[in-house]
Amino acid sequence: MTSFTRQRWAGLLFLIGATAVAWFAHAHWSARLTAWDYFTGWVLFAVMVMLTVFNARKKIPFLPLGTSEGWLQFHIYSGYLTIALLLVHLRFRPPGSGFGITLFVLYAIVTGSGIAGLVLTRVLPRRLTTRGGEVIYEKIPTVRRSLQQQAESLALAAIPGAKSTTIADFYARRLRDYFNGPRDFWLHLAESRRPLSSVMDELNDLRRFLNNDERAALDKIAALVRQKDGLDYHHALQTTLKLWLFVHLPFTYGLMLFTLAHIVIVYAFSGGAK
Amino acid sequence: MSEQLPSPDFDAAKYARPNANWICGRACDGDATCPAGPSRFGHCRAAAECSPVLEKKEGDAKGRWRCNRAGGACEQGPLPDGQCCRQTAPCTPARSLRGQRGRFTWVVIAATAAALLALIGGPGRPGFINPGTLSSPHSGSAFSVLHGGTNATDHTCAGCHAAGLAGPRQLIKAAFNAAPGPLEFHKLASITRTEMTAIDGSCQKCHANHLFHQPNVVRDHSCSLCHREHQGAGALQPPTDANCASCHGDAGIMTASAAKGATLAAAAFDFRPDRGQRIFKSARPATGGYTRLINHFATDHPEFQVLAENQREGNTLKFGHALHLTGDTVSFGDGRKLACADCHQPDAAGAYFRRINFEQHCRACHSLQFDPATPRLQLPHGNPAFVSAFLRSLGKQYADHARTNGLATGDAAVRSYTQERLQSLLGQFGTGEELERRVFFSTATLAPAVNVSTLTGQGRALYSGCAYCHEVKATGDASPTVTPPVIPDRWMIRGDFNHAKHTNMKCADCHAAEKSRDTADIILPSKNSCVTCHSPRGGVKDGCSTCHAYHTERREMVTLKGR
Repeated sequence: MTSFTRQRWAGLLFLIGATAVAWFAHAHWSARLTAWDYFTGWVLFAVMVMLTVFNARKKIPFLPLGTSEGWLQFHIYSGYLTIALLLVHLRFRPPGSGFGITLFVLYAIVTGSGIAGLVLTRVLPRRLTTRGGEVIYEKIPTVRRSLQQQAESLALAAIPGAKSTTIADFYARRLRDYFNGPRDFWLHLAESRRPLSSVMDELNDLRRFLNNDERAALDKIAALVRQKDGLDYHHALQTTLKLWLFVHLPFTYGLMLFTLAHIVIVYAFSGGAK
Repeated sequence: MSEQLPSPDFDAAKYARPNANWICGRACDGDATCPAGPSRFGHCRAAAECSPVLEKKEGDAKGRWRCNRAGGACEQGPLPDGQCCRQTAPCTPARSLRGQRGRFTWVVIAATAAALLALIGGPGRPGFINPGTLSSPHSGSAFSVLHGGTNATDHTCAGCHAAGLAGPRQLIKAAFNAAPGPLEFHKLASITRTEMTAIDGSCQKCHANHLFHQPNVVRDHSCSLCHREHQGAGALQPPTDANCASCHGDAGIMTASAAKGATLAAAAFDFRPDRGQRIFKSARPATGGYTRLINHFATDHPEFQVLAENQREGNTLKFGHALHLTGDTVSFGDGRKLACADCHQPDAAGAYFRRINFEQHCRACHSLQFDPATPRLQLPHGNPAFVSAFLRSLGKQYADHARTNGLATGDAAVRSYTQERLQSLLGQFGTGEELERRVFFSTATLAPAVNVSTLTGQGRALYSGCAYCHEVKATGDASPTVTPPVIPDRWMIRGDFNHAKHTNMKCADCHAAEKSRDTADIILPSKNSCVTCHSPRGGVKDGCSTCHAYHTERREMVTLKGR
């Protein structure tokens, strides 16, 4: 059993056990314990704080606080646990106030984006591996620029030998924009091969108008197009892998702010407030 | 597929800083980046490819500038004035994805904080934080009138909550001053909240002296524990069983309550208003009163007192349900047997039943006819003196009867008719005194035996007498007294019952009337009969508040309302 599998089973057992305890406690104590809602609220808040701290933990890797992988597993399964805890805290009823509904919506956004992120981080890396190649996300512009320069050089270099600007014209008309930046984000995300096929078809159509030297140059340009297509694929998927955090992280802090306000209001308007 | 991607065409020695918030503007365009990179505030720091260092040897006053460019010195080397010969045009650094995310995070945080301040500090707060609609008694214009100074209903919450008018800063202060406060976790488990809290003081602005449960209650009980507000419009939600069990399930409290009850006079517990009803009063149990531990109706609720103590009704009427419902001789003219509904008719609300009265429910069978020849001339009912007066003026009664019903016309004929009837009665009873005695005291249903030819037998008595149904006592020469029958309207006044909610059942399902032969029988259903349905197993609600109310009315309260 690999370490990941072990952690997954441990996480699942933790989740099932903790959920069962929450359910059992709700069934036996919710009607008896006067401060039950306060108790479940604090437990939920404590778990939420630990989930939020996960981001801070990533910024202090030098401290001996366990492995990042372990923290991630805890983050995932504790995140699932908050669903059960929230239901228990709400006594399985929908929130009544505008404040409660806002809090609930924020929670749904954070949890939903977290689950979406989990799915993305499980699916997209596999797709990248299947497609092959590796490129650091931050280096994509540099690589793209390099491909662009190579393609441009090939197109220009073909002019003197052929005494023709066929390839250069095609480059200017079709490929300059293609190499200039990331293309076909959504099609690549949808695993479509149409972007590459479209350009390759045009290259094949062009081939019959070229002599042998030009065809050799065109083959090299076609190879660069394929590389650019792979680069765009990486760009689309890696961007997606980073973009879900644009929802998950900011709204986490919004949720925590609202939660703190919720605690203040609950206590300020509690029976014991003076 | 890997060949589709080129090997990263960059110098591995160049540090990419993917975690920085700013990236070199040239990197965005795919150009080579400068080694310095942007500052943490997003300023380009690439003024030159290096910052030459001045090196001096011993005895060398002038020294020599050395190129310290990353990746090796350039060919030209530093300028004589010590500047790098390769000045770099500054770029416009861009935020990295991480930097953009960080900035967006701060925007969301700021927007959230602003929204919170606007919503919680603004006039819309009551509507925004109100967890549920208030009950009708605590909302609407009437409540606003009562709390005009502190609460305009649904505009502020200050009628009940001290922090209702507080600003954001005061809210935080109020939260930390609450008992228990946000940091007093250790009190969460032990808190019972049965004791009065600060908000209960708000309840008592209107509901002063809230201790109107039982005189032997040993402690004030929090209003807000039982009366949960913000649960929706309409009446306040009834308290839960746990609320009741917080005292009735607590042995210590019940023991103290029993001890306190023992020191109080029995009259102290006789506080319920009768509301014009005849109440069947059970004496309070001598030991402990009603302090037995109770948690649930189905399990440890005691048997109803009237049945547990086998109490008997004190009504002097001689009546048997069994005879009326199952007797062969009791039926209507068409042969139909009596049914419960022939006598027991529900009141307007259907909760209880109207009183039984002679005219409506008895006279049809128990006629007060005393002379078989004059079926429409009947004795008065309800007052023995009237009966005596009627009998002692029979001549006039017969005369009026004859005139009214056209049995005789003219004084002579009326006189003749009257004499005839009086003679007939004298033939049967001998004297007027005997007639009156029989009318009051006879319980016979059969007449004396007579012989007709060879046959002997008893006929039906002309009149059974008041004593057939009533307790009649002789009082010398005056009219006998008839003890008025008193049929209670309510039997168990510590709990409510609504017959209208039980119309899907037969009367006999709960009341064993067909087996009751004695008026003194109290034919109420037992607790187990109720538990059949009112229990978790039966599926019908079985909470304490289904039958009981905490705030039992007192006579003086009803009197005050009457004024």
